[in-house]
Amino acid sequence: MRKLVSKPSVFAASIWGSLGAYLSVRSSFGMGVRLISFNPIRLLAAFAGIAVAVTVMFVELGLLTGLLNSQALMASVIRGELVVMSEARTHLHKWDNMNPIRINQITAVEGVEEIIPVYQRNMGLRDPDTNAVRRILALAFPPEDLPIAIGDPEVIIQALTTPNTILFDRRSRPIYAEMVIGEEAEINDQPYRVGGFVDLGPDIIHDGIVVMSDASLFGHDPNVRPIMGVIRISEGAVLEDVRGNIVTSLPDDISIFTPDELHRREIEFTLGSAPIGFLFGIGMLAGLVIGSITCYQILFNEIVDRLRQYATLKAMGFSEMFLRGVIVEQALLLAVGGFAGGLVFAWVSYAYIANRTALAVKISAGSITFIFVLAAGMCIAAGLLALRRVSAADPAELY
Amino acid sequence: MSAVAADAQHGEVSSQGSHTGPMVVARGVEYAFGTDANPKPILKSVDFTLEPGEFVILTGPSGAGKTTLMSLIGALRTVQTGSIKVLGTELEGLSPIGQRDVRRRIGFIFQDHNLFDALTAFQTLRLAMELIEPHPSYDEALVRARAIMEPLGMAEELNSQPGQLSGGQKQRVAIARALINEPALILADEPTASLDQGSAGAVIGIVRERITRSRAAALMVTHDTRLFSVADRVVRMEDGRVTDSN
Repeated sequence: MRKLVSKPSVFAASIWGSLGAYLSVRSSFGMGVRLISFNPIRLLAAFAGIAVAVTVMFVELGLLTGLLNSQALMASVIRGELVVMSEARTHLHKWDNMNPIRINQITAVEGVEEIIPVYQRNMGLRDPDTNAVRRILALAFPPEDLPIAIGDPEVIIQALTTPNTILFDRRSRPIYAEMVIGEEAEINDQPYRVGGFVDLGPDIIHDGIVVMSDASLFGHDPNVRPIMGVIRISEGAVLEDVRGNIVTSLPDDISIFTPDELHRREIEFTLGSAPIGFLFGIGMLAGLVIGSITCYQILFNEIVDRLRQYATLKAMGFSEMFLRGVIVEQALLLAVGGFAGGLVFAWVSYAYIANRTALAVKISAGSITFIFVLAAGMCIAAGLLALRRVSAADPAELY
Repeated sequence: MSAVAADAQHGEVSSQGSHTGPMVVARGVEYAFGTDANPKPILKSVDFTLEPGEFVILTGPSGAGKTTLMSLIGALRTVQTGSIKVLGTELEGLSPIGQRDVRRRIGFIFQDHNLFDALTAFQTLRLAMELIEPHPSYDEALVRARAIMEPLGMAEELNSQPGQLSGGQKQRVAIARALINEPALILADEPTASLDQGSAGAVIGIVRERITRSRAAALMVTHDTRLFSVADRVVRMEDGRVTDSN
């Protein structure tokens, strides 16, 4: 009996060799598809089983990436080349403010065009219908220019330059009262005019966000300190030179990053501080196991039902590699069909999850590719395992 | 290089019916099932020869060793003791790839049709034709398929799947599959068991015609005494030995 070898290169060579032997027999192309689709009910059941596994993998991956992206959201919307923050602020959800003097000091550094301070503060938004006050994150900055990409800059700047105006994040969780442009919203017992909406999204800590000018925030707390500064460098300045100038000319109580570095640091921190990668990885593994077992069972039954036919092919002189090709083709059909079904289920699931959690759960080209590779690998591996039964088919038993 | 072409390097693949000299020469063949410690002998010093153009029927009681001898000649089992030369190739000590290459030059007809339920008769025949080099085109394959199916009364069933055929029709498709590549040697195990007398006669006629036309040879296991008259020779086996050959 043929033994499967676990080395990836040998495994890949085996699949490649099987397909090569199979495809060289031209008229047989599509034979695996013809065989497995002969019983459409069984095929649909197989697709459904694999689709469930694919959906599980998609959902687990979507939750993980959605969670990570939501946690690192601020880093991904920065409109600047560099970000500076307190050295003690080891992740974006740690609220160590900067010394405001640093903002002024950085303004004077060679190569810095401008630095925009960003403030944040937890505030209470009152629901006028129930009178309940719900916590909401307030982001504030000078309204002359936007440090973060949250919508049309002109519209936002125009709204924020109007005193006591807020912009509401339309992707906030639906726990707040409905916001209507031009109407009043009460925040920390003070009336504000709703000037429009922005697009940001909550994370696992904050349910919603309002954006206001720094002047409006100072009205609540004149001593509020910046949480970070977004730096734009002068035209022609070299990023690393500017960074070096800032680091050498300022005390070491600040950290400085590019937006990409900050995003990466946030992802790494989230993955390192909580076992979510492991937990969602276990979930994906469960999907992989479910799919593998389903695929194996289907292909095993297909082979057992046609064992004498496969033995006849061996007697006629068809190679083992050719038979593998037939099974690999069947496995690939199961992978493609199951994946297509799973993608549809996942799309519906993502829409539901995004609606319920407001997390940035999205199907991306990367996740589609990743899950398809997993699904195809899962089905091919299951097929090669089931193939051991074909290897055991003895043509001498036909007489 | 295709895998089939690569396989061809290990032996002749497409030289159907071109062999000269005896088709099969078996000398002192012994074969046993069971373990080394407790062997159960099936064949006992069997000598057997099959010449080109010969149609030989192998008969005898159940358990006489007919099927085992046939599977050894067909390179479906590995020779344990003795020598078997098939189409000029010594099977004793032959590698699995070498055995496979010998099998490609043999037309096997089994008692069961063993057809894939999802393939039409033409697809079944075309699959078999892919074992020869060069691969015939679709049109060539269609011509060959019609040529083999017409004498079997199956020309209208090329696009039928096994589920649409009677038992006898399925067996005729299986026979066509065995003969489509004009094998040098035909090994048949009760090929007419599921056929009516007319169909059985047609099948034997086709086998006979192939043998005559291409100097091939056929070895057929059967208990059907009606067929003995059309054979060149009837070989009887009993208890693992050839007891009569005339």
